Amino acid sequence: MIGFLGPRNEGRSAPVAFEHVVKRFGAVTAVDDLSLDVPDGEMLVLLGPSGCGKTTSLRMLAGLESISGGQIRIGDTVVNELPPRARDIAMVFQSYALYAHLTVYENLAYPLRVRKLPKAEIDRRVRDVAGVVQIGELLERKPKALSGGQRQRVALGRAIIRRPAVFLMDEPLSNLDAKLRLHTRGELKRFQRELATTTIYVTHDQAEAMTLADRLAIMDRGILQQVGRPKEVYAKPASVFVAGFLGSPPMNLLDVRVTSVAGSPGLEIAGTSIPATGSLGARLGTLAPDQREVILGVRPEEVALSRETSGDRVPGEVFVVEDLGNEILVTLDLGGQFVMARMPSDYPAEMGDHLWFGFDSERAHLFDTVSQRRIE
Amino acid sequence: MTDAIPRSVRSFPSGERRPRAWWLVYIPLTILFIFAVAPLLLTWFTAFKTDQQQLVSPYGLPLPPTLDNLGEAWTVGRFSIYFKNSLIISIADVIGMVVISSLAGYAFARLRFPGQKLLLYGLLVGLTIPVAAIIIPLYLTMRDFHLLNTYSSVIIADIALAAPIFVFIMRAFFKDLPGELDDAARVDGANELQIFWQIMLPLARPGLMTVALLEFLWSWNDLLLPLVFLVSDDLRTLPVGMLFFQGRFTIDYGLMSAGVLILSLPVTLLFLIFQRDFVKGLASGALKG
Repeated sequence: MIGFLGPRNEGRSAPVAFEHVVKRFGAVTAVDDLSLDVPDGEMLVLLGPSGCGKTTSLRMLAGLESISGGQIRIGDTVVNELPPRARDIAMVFQSYALYAHLTVYENLAYPLRVRKLPKAEIDRRVRDVAGVVQIGELLERKPKALSGGQRQRVALGRAIIRRPAVFLMDEPLSNLDAKLRLHTRGELKRFQRELATTTIYVTHDQAEAMTLADRLAIMDRGILQQVGRPKEVYAKPASVFVAGFLGSPPMNLLDVRVTSVAGSPGLEIAGTSIPATGSLGARLGTLAPDQREVILGVRPEEVALSRETSGDRVPGEVFVVEDLGNEILVTLDLGGQFVMARMPSDYPAEMGDHLWFGFDSERAHLFDTVSQRRIE
Repeated sequence: MTDAIPRSVRSFPSGERRPRAWWLVYIPLTILFIFAVAPLLLTWFTAFKTDQQQLVSPYGLPLPPTLDNLGEAWTVGRFSIYFKNSLIISIADVIGMVVISSLAGYAFARLRFPGQKLLLYGLLVGLTIPVAAIIIPLYLTMRDFHLLNTYSSVIIADIALAAPIFVFIMRAFFKDLPGELDDAARVDGANELQIFWQIMLPLARPGLMTVALLEFLWSWNDLLLPLVFLVSDDLRTLPVGMLFFQGRFTIDYGLMSAGVLILSLPVTLLFLIFQRDFVKGLASGALKG
């Protein structure tokens, strides 16, 4: 499909490395000691809430923001002091940043024109790329006359026409409506695979991150929290922040006390003690003897609700039931602490019902109350 | 303040039917229109009247019209020379102002450089100084630079005095352009000059139109500077020529009206042609931040 680049963007793509990168704005540290390797051809998604430093990191890599400390490499070159045009990167912006006074053709041609490529070569590549991103009929239009999705394609086309070593994408889908976003997300993933070019993608949308990423890098308040394949990060969040950020609805996080039930380790959840079996018990066994409190994490899909107890469940009252059509979300009040459960849509639950909360102890997560890190 | 306007009027632009209180808008506007346009029309009509027509129907239409007054003003009254002088100075003013205001406005709006705030405030001070207050030192400066009685004296002073307001207008325009645009151009490989010339300047075109039109109007109509700096009759501009003309031909209303016509017609036409851009320009950028 992307024939003009050859089957892959061979020999053009390059790895990226952040080495102890710091960015300060006055007294504020926006990015704190970021170290991250992105191998050649990988799609890495930088994920985090707004203000977490992900966009700043991307802009430092692009050369649009100076670097306060550390260094950034693209391939073997340290790019700290290089201007954007010397970094062999292409970027897709959230607002698309199309040149409103130029036609689609001229927008696509612009990166080649400033590099003074021959006219015939420019023309050939513009038409190739227009075919790839399916905007062949729109070449003579101005951006104003395009829909959001078409503009997005032009922005993407303008990025790939250069055959850069690295693609940078700053929330490129966030201005599209929900349906188009899903569609474009899929396309984007295909493009990236076919181009096999290192891509760094910034988003605050965790669903986008999970589906697009080869690897995820989650940031919070300027600090890299965890890097890994989406499945790994989802299954083993390294901190309370990551646990709460990934997944929709997010993981239930409960403040619980460590106790012992009949000589073996147990947990006291909202005043009810239950035994901690299997690996959960083993994990509790690794705690320092004086540590009495931990955070228990249970994903909504791993919550078990029942009308009876066999001694390992915690009583609660149904606080609210939300019907999503294909499933329902049941929020249980355990006496001040709330737990959300994802249940089949035919599950009988009404507000005010008394139910018992249980969970699979093998798949439950434990976090340190103080350091907020995962307890293995 | 909007509460004072009747509800029915406020919804007029988008509504289909004419609101009941439409006259609240149209009657004051009509009166204003008559006040603004009547004297000008009267003078223009007089320019095409013979002396006799002026006496018989001072307020009527010039029927049949005569071009004698215009011809005489153009040749005997030397308005051809004044017209040329006005044109040279105004066009030079416009070119100079477009260059300066776009460059400075861009720098203030989109670049970061040391002393930026200070310079901006300095410019603000420039906005507050009336020309009359500094006309004597300005005259002395021009004299010391041996610029008196040259086009340059008026052109330089015109541009310098009006630069603050136009730099502000252009700054507002450049500030209004999306922030990611220059980043995109930078990543695409453009250098700073290319970003300015190929991306930013074309997008600020409505602003440039406003600047060009307004500066042309101002310098075309300016009396004080050319009056003070240009002593020789061969260098006089239309307003100055008009002033002296008034002294020489006080009683000849036809000739004087012809002078007014020559003076006022070009700017009126220019404004009518470009008023759409002009209003758009003012509305889209100049009044913001």
